[in-house]
Amino acid sequence: MSRSGLLLPLIGIVFLSFGCAAAPPKKDYTAFLAANPRSILVIPVVNNTTSVEAPGLFLSTLPIPVAERGYYVFPVNMVKGVLENEGLSDPNLVHAADPGRLCNLFGADSVLYVSIEAWTAKYLLINTQVTVEFDYLMKDGKTGDTIWKEHRRVVSNSSDGAQDPLSPLVMAVIAKAYPNYMPMARSANSWVFTAPGIGLPAGPHHKEYGKPADSGR
Amino acid sequence: MTSRRPSFLLLAAFAAAAASGCAPKTAYLWGDYDAALYAHYANPQDSERYLERLGRIVQKAEAEKDRMPPGLYAEYGYALFEAGRLDEALTYYKKEREEWEESRVFMDKMIRNTRRLKEVRPGPAPGGELPPPAGPTPGALPAGEAK
Repeated sequence: MSRSGLLLPLIGIVFLSFGCAAAPPKKDYTAFLAANPRSILVIPVVNNTTSVEAPGLFLSTLPIPVAERGYYVFPVNMVKGVLENEGLSDPNLVHAADPGRLCNLFGADSVLYVSIEAWTAKYLLINTQVTVEFDYLMKDGKTGDTIWKEHRRVVSNSSDGAQDPLSPLVMAVIAKAYPNYMPMARSANSWVFTAPGIGLPAGPHHKEYGKPADSGR
Repeated sequence: MTSRRPSFLLLAAFAAAAASGCAPKTAYLWGDYDAALYAHYANPQDSERYLERLGRIVQKAEAEKDRMPPGLYAEYGYALFEAGRLDEALTYYKKEREEWEESRVFMDKMIRNTRRLKEVRPGPAPGGELPPPAGPTPGALPAGEAK
């Protein structure tokens, strides 16, 4: 056995151990980078909860974080209005439509599908637990393939503010009466779209576009 | 933020940032675009206020041209369109088209439709407002392309 014959497996072991050191499995961005979208069509969100106001409220939190990643984001309210005039006022219908056809209609490169899975405020003794949960999925307009997806659940407990001068009971009652969903929705979005190795790679309007870094900032 | 404490801390941080007005620096000047949309969905009948808020955001963003948010001109144009102010709507659709090449297919369609609608229905008097147009649906794209 030659020297190199010994060396090669050794190098392999070194690489393997490096691989183990690297934390959570990274997302595979191959399909996303191949599709290389410039623009994203954000369509009305599907609501899988009983909250009536959740879809509108949540839709309003989407364009900013997506556009800040460096993509052209179509005007969400205009898109919603145009779809409604096309007879697609039910978001479920829009989500079921062919992505290629949707993209053609607007001249978009990709579509972002979002659904609301939880939007609740639960009162338990002296604590109110507010939960939001979303599913995100992006499809390429040319191939119709899924090029990115993510899921996020954010839970907040009113009892966490224990150091607050208000009694936990008062805090819980306030949180139940006025559950503060919006900051939670924003924080979910910010993680989902921006976190390195999780979010959207920097797009063409971002100063880091095309840099070799996997994704995130 | 699956653990509880960080989520609360983050909320507190958000609240503090919102209160002090020192939001993190963004590439674009969004103003209160998200809040304007949010208020519009919470209270759809108050479309006048929505239009007014968008107008102010556009005005502020125009001061720093390279920080004009994508979609904002068009969003404002559409609000004008819905208010029956078709000429102004056209102006902002064209601005969007000019600013963002990604918007061209969509803006071209909207510009065509708005012009067609203007022929069907004479435009409003200068500065005047008309109720949303009757007849052909305002936002409809040309027949045939929809299905």
